[in-house]
Amino acid sequence: MKNCIEVKNLVKEYKNVRAVDDLTFEVHEGEILGLLGPNGSGKTTTINCILSLLKFSKGKIKIFGKNMEPNAYDIKKDIGVVFQEVAVFEELNVYDNIDYFCGLYIKDKTKRKVYIKEAINLVGLENYQKFLPKQLSGGLLRRLNIACGIAHKPKLIFLDEPTVAVDPQSRNNILDGIKKLKEDGATIVYTTHYMEEVEILCDRIIILDKGRVLASGTTDELKKLANIEEKVTIEGVEISSTILEEIKQFKNVDEILYKDNILFITYKKGKNNLSELMDFLKTKKVVYNKIFSERPTLNDVFLELTGKELRD
Amino acid sequence: MTIFKTFLKVLNKCKAPILLYTVILIFFTSFNMKTNENTMSFSPSKPKIIIVNKDEFVGVTKDLITYLSTHCEVVEIENIEEKRNDALFYRSVNFIVEIPQNFHKDLLSKKNPTISIKSLHDYASSLVNRMLERYLNIANSYLNLELTEEELIGKINETLTTEVKVEIKSELDTESLNKMALYFNFTNYCILAGTIYVLCLILSSFKNKSIQKRTIISSIPYKKYNRILLFSNSLFAFLFWLFYILLSLVLIGKNMFTMHGLFYILNSFVFTFCALTLSFLLGNIVTNKNALNGIINVIALGSSFLCGTFVPMEWLPNSVLFIAHVLPSYYFIKTNEILKTLEVFDFESLKPIFLNMGVLLLFALGFVIGTNILSKKKQKLA
Repeated sequence: MKNCIEVKNLVKEYKNVRAVDDLTFEVHEGEILGLLGPNGSGKTTTINCILSLLKFSKGKIKIFGKNMEPNAYDIKKDIGVVFQEVAVFEELNVYDNIDYFCGLYIKDKTKRKVYIKEAINLVGLENYQKFLPKQLSGGLLRRLNIACGIAHKPKLIFLDEPTVAVDPQSRNNILDGIKKLKEDGATIVYTTHYMEEVEILCDRIIILDKGRVLASGTTDELKKLANIEEKVTIEGVEISSTILEEIKQFKNVDEILYKDNILFITYKKGKNNLSELMDFLKTKKVVYNKIFSERPTLNDVFLELTGKELRD
Repeated sequence: MTIFKTFLKVLNKCKAPILLYTVILIFFTSFNMKTNENTMSFSPSKPKIIIVNKDEFVGVTKDLITYLSTHCEVVEIENIEEKRNDALFYRSVNFIVEIPQNFHKDLLSKKNPTISIKSLHDYASSLVNRMLERYLNIANSYLNLELTEEELIGKINETLTTEVKVEIKSELDTESLNKMALYFNFTNYCILAGTIYVLCLILSSFKNKSIQKRTIISSIPYKKYNRILLFSNSLFAFLFWLFYILLSLVLIGKNMFTMHGLFYILNSFVFTFCALTLSFLLGNIVTNKNALNGIINVIALGSSFLCGTFVPMEWLPNSVLFIAHVLPSYYFIKTNEILKTLEVFDFESLKPIFLNMGVLLLFALGFVIGTNILSKKKQKLA
């Protein structure tokens, strides 16, 4: 598979802080790569270095097989970026905003018109073309922000938390749009804090922390890295501390948490954990409303790898 | 073209403030032109005097009283000293002349009689004083010729009626020059406020951090982008200036096509250039659009008050004018004031004007250097 981006031994140092620490990874052509990490893990710094918005201390960055530099305009013409913060002119309406950013890449007026129309359709802003940004809701504004970044039909798109603070309807619309971009052949680097989005969208995931790659692979590959095999939840249960202690002593149980008549049990490994537990509860005549078992989610993997302590 | 077109679209949103500053300019200029018309015409006025004659109304005494009556307005008042003093105190008269007893006889016998006077010590009373001195000096100078009283009076009157023709050579049209100075002094506020407001507003949009990031990663070279932005801003400043020059043609008329008019235009052009560079500097400093109004008030309104846009420079205290030296508006208005009274356009007369324009250009250079330093600092911080 051809590489769209190659990052080799990237180091970015601020005065006393190493924001990106010897980072190496590739993004394959046509894939959606999820870049995950807690706040301050170096995601945005990495993207800024790749885009030559920041000078980096060491390392090499190649895009489409060519060295990425601030004046590499032949590379830049095929890149689209949607930043976390909405970057639009307050004075221009929806159409004019998209026209301006598309116009920085596409000189041909007729071609531009077609592209703008397609971008507007992709994000579903057909009925808001004459609206000023201040007249748009948060979700619509995010969609405009995306349209401005992708209207020129780039081959490589960076999406930096594009769904922050939008309602589920707008989020679904945005995610559908991203899937459509992938179908059209675009390579996408996607950063977010919403794990379910990554599970839906991304072909591969890289988890960053403290400027380093903690893990990378597909969702399933990452889930295997987690030290959890199964999670069992029992709802509407009243249980004594003696029984809780007995459950704790079960062979594969890693952790238990009993709160508000709900019991959470995580298992490290093992196979018939749920049936064993149900048998035990039956013998102890413990009554409950609901019991179910889950495989670990990406969120569990993320917390497992990056730790549960609060970040800035 | 995309950047320039967007510049125009953003500029289109600034129509209201441009219109507002223009209306302010037209209103204040028209208003001031009307109120200043009166200051251009003169009407003769005579000092008011009281003559107390203790001598007989004959000979030299009679002639002196006639002479004073011709050139002054003699106020008749009760012959009581207290009343006369009251009239002087309440400024009903400017001067009291008291001719002593036997004045004409004493004068002829060269006894050097003394005429008592009381005055307000104002300009009008100094005129009466001078008339009196003149009359007595002439009389004394003819006394040595051993003339009869009648002959002496004849000689005095002959000398007094000798007129010296004074021709004022100035061909200055002071009325229209005053109008020009007024108009261009007001443009200080409009050009400064208009340019800063509009350009800072546009620059704050284009220099918005996120928009700038999007532009840097686009396929358009950032230097080219900056050049287009610079050209667009300069074009706006030029058209803004041109608009006010055309407005001056409407308000002032054909007098703008004189050397004075030409220098007023040149001075305003240099000032507009300076305002443009200042706007660039401020556009790089100010990122908050809401702060713009406050900044305009401080810079445009402040320098207009300190440098003599609203209050004429000659009325401002020296301490204010001393502070005003650090503001470009001072040099712009100073040149306008010099031009108002400029008779000859030679090197010596134009030297202070070019010097002021030079200072304005130095200010502009300072603002450009400031903008560059700031931009580089911002880039380093990124």
